[in-house]
Amino acid sequence: MTRLGKRQLGWAAAILIFLAALALLPLAVGRDDVLNFVFLILLSITLAESWNIVAGYAGQVNLGHAAFFGLGALVARTLWIGGTPIVLAMAAGAGVATALALLIGVAAFRLRGAYFAIGTLALGEISRTTVGNVLSDISTLPTATISAYRLSHRYYLALALAAVSVAAVAALAASRVGLGMQAIREDEDAAAASGVGALGLKLTALALSTGLAGLAGGLFAYYHISYYPSHPFSPHWTFDALLMTFIGGVGTLHGPVLGAVLYVFLKEYLALRWVDFHLLIFGALFIAIVLLLPGGLVQAAERARRLLAR
Amino acid sequence: MPLLEVERVSKAFGGVRAVHDVSFTLQEGELLGIMGPNGSGKTTLFNLIAGALSPDAGRIRLGGQDIAGLPPHRICARGIARTFQLVRPFAGLSALDNVLVGRLYGRVRATTSEAIAEAERLLALVGLEERAGLPASQLTLIDRKRLELARALATAPHLLLLDEFMAGLNPAETASAMTLIRRLATEGMTVLMVEHIVWALMDLSRRIIVLSAGEKIAEGPPPAVAADPAVVDVYLGADRESRPRA
Repeated sequence: MTRLGKRQLGWAAAILIFLAALALLPLAVGRDDVLNFVFLILLSITLAESWNIVAGYAGQVNLGHAAFFGLGALVARTLWIGGTPIVLAMAAGAGVATALALLIGVAAFRLRGAYFAIGTLALGEISRTTVGNVLSDISTLPTATISAYRLSHRYYLALALAAVSVAAVAALAASRVGLGMQAIREDEDAAAASGVGALGLKLTALALSTGLAGLAGGLFAYYHISYYPSHPFSPHWTFDALLMTFIGGVGTLHGPVLGAVLYVFLKEYLALRWVDFHLLIFGALFIAIVLLLPGGLVQAAERARRLLAR
Repeated sequence: MPLLEVERVSKAFGGVRAVHDVSFTLQEGELLGIMGPNGSGKTTLFNLIAGALSPDAGRIRLGGQDIAGLPPHRICARGIARTFQLVRPFAGLSALDNVLVGRLYGRVRATTSEAIAEAERLLALVGLEERAGLPASQLTLIDRKRLELARALATAPHLLLLDEFMAGLNPAETASAMTLIRRLATEGMTVLMVEHIVWALMDLSRRIIVLSAGEKIAEGPPPAVAADPAVVDVYLGADRESRPRA
């Protein structure tokens, strides 16, 4: 639609071609460790893009993203083990996550400022503690399911979900609805004076964002053989999404994808070398980016291009 | 029927009567100026009309329909657009996207291609066609004011509210802003403007209302208002005897 939209569509095409190429990976490489690693990148892309919709486009910082990821995982896992096909189970998980999000959003979005951030932060911790207390036993797949486990199924589902997330954000960025969200992010009063109804658009962004996060949670539940039910509610899912988005470039289409790829590589590398220090390093990296490069890698690339063009 | 009818509108903040019992009407195609010293309630009155505040008492009608208390985006959809005293463009969006927001969300629903064409026309009207792709944050103050005007016009308003549009501009920029406003007025746009630069307001308006301490103290053509003793008192002080004679 706009110039910005057109450039984003170019990026969308590039990313989708890259993802299409990744579809060939299981045929070319039979190694599980490679597929597991790429799976993690794909899951991260979905998670980062989902966070980016509500925070990057609509400007509403969600600090409880893990609650929606976790809820998607919990519902999908329960239904799936009970015999529901995984895609339906994931859809149900996403539906429950979105319903909860809208409930929180209707209450918090009526107030301006930090209420939404604080409310979601509290929601994340409350849901993690509650699930940890109520469901304290480890969740393991039934033996029959484990013996039928195919990593490639998980891999292709992750690939499809990452592609859907990127396509969704690209469509949003080029749409009237996406432009309205960005106007709200920039200045809510000025947006209202230009005819933009903020509440509806914020809720739309939140529904899209948490729906995708719920699907990502369902994917996680389908992928992992055993984990504690409170694990997908851990705040690190929120802050991973936030870090990846900021490292790459918040409010852009390709930023979270670049951020997710870099972050997963870095984390893998640092976690192997400096087990105890890698969180400290990420903390420092995050502070450095916010202070020096608020636009992330995307901004760095633009600056470099401008320097070279001189 | 007048386009805008403001009828006995009041608004207080705590014990402060920001606007008290103010009434006036505005005909279609008219340019009406509001003046008054600092704190006289001009911006509050604007915010009441634009929906940023809702009145404690009184009615505001646009084309005969009561709009008092509607939220700003609904009032925009009814056909009132505004600029802000301190400019508030969407800093991270391009100039074109700023105007597109107004076009895609304002009173008129347009298809995307129509909206882009209209946004480009408006950018050209305010003299920003060369800067359409720049982020609003990179524009100068006068250009940001022009952009905000284009964004307001993009909502296809029946009534345009200009809140101290000339504030902060140098004399040359003020002159070019006045040319722009005069052009809009001759094209039939109904304008309600608050302005601190009295001579500009006197020059542009055919009718002026004067507020002081939240109340309307005078209304009429600029020369009559300028000669009104109540207005002179407000601007130059009540104790006229002690003032040196020119």
